[in-house]
Amino acid sequence: MSQVLEDVELHVESLADQPWVTIVWNDPVNLMNYVSYVFRSYFGHSREEAERLMLLVHHEGRAVVASGGREEMERHVEAMHDFGLWATIAKEGE
Amino acid sequence: MIPFSRDGDLVTARLTPTESTVLSALASQLVELLEERAAESPVDVLLAQLGIGGASAPPLDPAMARLLPDAYRGDTEAASEHRQLTELGLVDRKVSNARAVIASLGGGMLVTLDPAGVQSWLRHLTDLRLVLAARLEIEQDGDEGTGDERMLDLYDWLGYLQGTLVECLG
Repeated sequence: MSQVLEDVELHVESLADQPWVTIVWNDPVNLMNYVSYVFRSYFGHSREEAERLMLLVHHEGRAVVASGGREEMERHVEAMHDFGLWATIAKEGE
Repeated sequence: MIPFSRDGDLVTARLTPTESTVLSALASQLVELLEERAAESPVDVLLAQLGIGGASAPPLDPAMARLLPDAYRGDTEAASEHRQLTELGLVDRKVSNARAVIASLGGGMLVTLDPAGVQSWLRHLTDLRLVLAARLEIEQDGDEGTGDERMLDLYDWLGYLQGTLVECLG
C-alpha cells in the first residue's frame, strides 16, 4: 500500500519536472563534424538528426537538443561542457 | 605530420618532434591553468571528496570562463549553485584528458589511441582550441583573430588535427 502511494508521488513529481530543456549555443570554434559527432555519440541520434541539430545550432545560433526533467538536463549540460560545447539549461519556452 | 587514420579499434597519427613538443607543452599549460582554478575554490574537505564544493562564480579569465561556462543563463543563483556542485568534477576530467594526451605523446612521434584515448584527445583538442580562440579574441563566426600569426597557425593546426580525428571515426 505505501509502496503504491510512493510510486504515485514520484510520478507526479516527474510530471512536474518535465518542462526543462538543454540548449546548445553556436560558437566560432567547434568544428561542424565534431558537433555532429557529439550529438550522435552522446545522445544516440541518427546521422541525419545529428546533422539537422548541428545545422540548426550553426544557422539559428542555438538549438534545443534534449528535453525532460531538470536533473537529467543538468547531466546533459555537464556532458556537453566535457565535450567543450557551450550548453545551458532552461525552462521550456523561455 | 601524417593525420589521424583508423586501423580497427585503434587510431594512429604521426607528428613531427616539434609538433609533439608543442602539443605537450600546450597541454601542460592548460593543466596549470585548470589546477590554479581548482586551487582558488573554497573547498570543504568532505565535499571535495565527493567532487563538489567548487567556486560559486565563473572564472574572470575569458578562456577559463569558456571552458567552465555557466549552466544557466540569466539566473545567477541557479548557475552558482550548479557550479558549486559540478565545477571541480569538470576541471578534474579536463585535467585527466590533458594528462592522457601528454602520456600518449610519450612514445615518440607515433601516436596510437585506443577508444578511451580518442575521447580524451577529442575533448582536449577542443579545450585547447577554445583557450586559443579566447586569446585570439575569436568570438563570432568569421572573426579572424588579433593578428598573432603564430597563435593563429597553432589554432588552425589543432583544428586540422581534430578534424582528421573526427573524420576517421566515421
